[in-house]
Amino acid sequence: MNAIDATDRAVAEQDIEPPSLLTIIIDTNPHAWALLDDTLPLTKAVASLLVFINAHLAINYTNQVAVIASHSERAEWLYPTDVHPDNVQSNGALANGRDYEDLMDRGGPVQPPDDANKYRPFAQLEHTLMYNLRKMMNTTTTDAINSSPATMLAGALTRALAYISKQTASLPTATSSTQFNYSDPSAMAGGNELTTDPTKSANALGLSSRILIVSVSGDLADRYIEIMNCIFACQRMSVPIDVLKLAGDPVFLQQAADTTGGIYMSLSTSTARAGLLQYLMFAYLMDQTARNHLIAPGEGEGVDFRAACFCHKRVVDIGFVCSICLSIFCEPLPDGTCLLCGSHLSMTNYGRKPVVVPKKKVKKKKRPTESGTDTPASGAGTPMPG
Amino acid sequence: MSSTASQRALDYLEQLPGTTFTKLYQQPSTALAIFRRMLPHLAKTLVMAMLYMPKPFAVADVDVWIKPDAEGLQARDRALSILQRLRILFDTRDEKDGRPAYKLSDGFARSLRMALTGGGNHRSFGVPSNAPDKQPVSGSYLDAFARQQWEAILYYVVGSAHAGLGGSTDAISAGTKQLLQKGEFVSVRGREAHITQRGFTFLLQEINAQIWTLLIVYLEVSGALHMDPVDVLSFLFTLGSLELGISYSTTNLTPTQQQMLDDLSDFGLVYRRSNDEARYYPTRLATTLTSDAPALPNTSLTSTTSTTTLASSSTDPSASANEKGYIILETNYRLYAYTSSPLPITILSLFATLKTRYPNLITAKLTKSSIQSAIASGITSDQIITYLTTHAHPILRRQNPVLPPTVVDQIRLWQIEGERMTAWKGFLIRDVGTAEEYDKAVQYADALGVLRKEFRGKGWFFVSRMDQMSVYFRAQAAKKKEAMARREG
Repeated sequence: MNAIDATDRAVAEQDIEPPSLLTIIIDTNPHAWALLDDTLPLTKAVASLLVFINAHLAINYTNQVAVIASHSERAEWLYPTDVHPDNVQSNGALANGRDYEDLMDRGGPVQPPDDANKYRPFAQLEHTLMYNLRKMMNTTTTDAINSSPATMLAGALTRALAYISKQTASLPTATSSTQFNYSDPSAMAGGNELTTDPTKSANALGLSSRILIVSVSGDLADRYIEIMNCIFACQRMSVPIDVLKLAGDPVFLQQAADTTGGIYMSLSTSTARAGLLQYLMFAYLMDQTARNHLIAPGEGEGVDFRAACFCHKRVVDIGFVCSICLSIFCEPLPDGTCLLCGSHLSMTNYGRKPVVVPKKKVKKKKRPTESGTDTPASGAGTPMPG
Repeated sequence: MSSTASQRALDYLEQLPGTTFTKLYQQPSTALAIFRRMLPHLAKTLVMAMLYMPKPFAVADVDVWIKPDAEGLQARDRALSILQRLRILFDTRDEKDGRPAYKLSDGFARSLRMALTGGGNHRSFGVPSNAPDKQPVSGSYLDAFARQQWEAILYYVVGSAHAGLGGSTDAISAGTKQLLQKGEFVSVRGREAHITQRGFTFLLQEINAQIWTLLIVYLEVSGALHMDPVDVLSFLFTLGSLELGISYSTTNLTPTQQQMLDDLSDFGLVYRRSNDEARYYPTRLATTLTSDAPALPNTSLTSTTSTTTLASSSTDPSASANEKGYIILETNYRLYAYTSSPLPITILSLFATLKTRYPNLITAKLTKSSIQSAIASGITSDQIITYLTTHAHPILRRQNPVLPPTVVDQIRLWQIEGERMTAWKGFLIRDVGTAEEYDKAVQYADALGVLRKEFRGKGWFFVSRMDQMSVYFRAQAAKKKEAMARREG
């Protein structure tokens, strides 16, 4: 009879792991990669990433992956692409003859060559990704590179978030089982649940998502507001942002990883960069299910919590915060009006030298031994006895 | 739940000799399939972390990496135990400082790396047919074919329970019938086939588990027919990595595998127009062999990795209620099943009293007599509950637990009324040593999940699996010896 109680039911829970969506944002900023060229060229990094992506897909049949390039002036999908590559070829390749040749050099048209030595989904992904990356590089103009030295990380993050919520919504709200996928309209409620109940993590739903940013450029202060908003959105959706920093200063990304519970590591030396693949496989491959049991690396490092001001995009130690909308400014506002919300702020006392209020002269105390009672001092000296 | 299927596959694999594993792991597709299908999640993460590691992974480092709470330790022990049983992980010692460490089997690591990066010339992911087919076969046709073949088998099994209700017994080949008998799903007495307890178990599993159950019987039988198990297994794993809707060439298959194609098309795993055609199409039953995805789905899950080629193949409006979940069970033991297909109705009638039948709906009731008659014919309460859970309607699925607890408990109670004993095969361990050692050993067994019963007063305990425990005792003995030697020396 002991077998029948509530615990028995709990044991019956399935130990099947939820599918996991890995969204990778590759910072393809040409300026930064040019600096890294002698230690870790982009091609090598992408090759390592491809192995890493394949490993992620190998872990679970239902695992998904999305790759976004955060290029210098735009964010671009690398995988999956909405347009069927065949269509791209028919018009895109004609417009750009070199593109077509490049592909021919690789031994085939856009469809991956039929290779019995490679798992087909891997081959397809690799092919699509490389094709899109090439296309993006070929369509990058010199002007675009010259005009912006930074990277479009905010745009890429936004796209990643949009994709994640779309995928989450399209999966059923199966609480205990992910194997049944029914296409009834009520399944879409999963998307809304996120907004109504932020405490419920994505784990309860079918899909657990995470974002990996492979970053090479520093100086993200330009897009501070957008990036921080993305970070908070991730935190709310419980999507951890893992950051792998290959170069550049870490200010906001470190905060991103810290806020969302992701992993932050900085491979700043060339030996560390040479081991990129091992870093990826060891530290970044574990999904949320595995993170329950493993200790994530990179914890406990000092996090730089500084913010950038909204007016000049400077990173500030001490700033001025609008009491209405909480925007940050690096210097007091000239007319006392918040630049963002327009509220009138009075800063009556700021900037003025503190007025030195002359201290009321403390009356000199008499020597305590002199008499037990404190007599008010008079201007004249007390006549001394004797 | 398909973990029963992987458990069975695991048990089968485990008893293979080490050389078979070496041969098996030469194929990247096999390495990938075993990695994907057989390993628990933590083990996968471990393997991937070690895959490109130049040195063995020190045991102490593994321990540091894993969270030291009870759950983490249990997951670790389970992961390591399965990895060692599948000959993927080996104990070794660090070359420099001699610390104990773990090492991946060379063959497995090489093959898995090759699966991830591509390259080599193993051709284990299936050779696509070069010439385009004149009449290409669509995904929905393949699904229909697979369903027809597979349901014919199920009809045969279930039909033997209710003669006259099932489909015609001529629908499946003699070979398959033999196989079902060998696997003791049905037993033939006189001219008629009768369903056995294993047959009921088989019926009540979900499709993917059913396939594996049948395939394992096939593997056991094929060994007796002098078919090389390595060939058979690696072909099965290759099938799991093929893609639906693409035709593959039979030219570079071994004779064993050619022979298998005939049998597999009887099961509905592959489709061939005629038995001598040089191309074959894997069906969804085959392509989902190495996944946890439903075998005959209408889902978006399976389309994620192949979006670029087969955007529309996975939507199959005719996907029967069988896969979708069609049963609603209420707290008052009433059961509504949205189905019109005779197969699920027959299965339901095994343990429920059917009340009314409408064009698309069956109403039934779970009663004490219906459940106990099912139990009398060899079905267990757990099987019934698993079946109801696997096929629960989406409406039920929204709540947790899926089935009303009162009904679940009552089904169990009805079974327990009849039986007061559970039998476990296993090992009794006694004379462990000091009380402290005993406690440690019991704790270890508990963490492994093999502890069944503890007789603390007598200093005995009972485990269901011995191999891990014997390794543990050996390690303990070695430690003791070392300590003794140190004390003396």
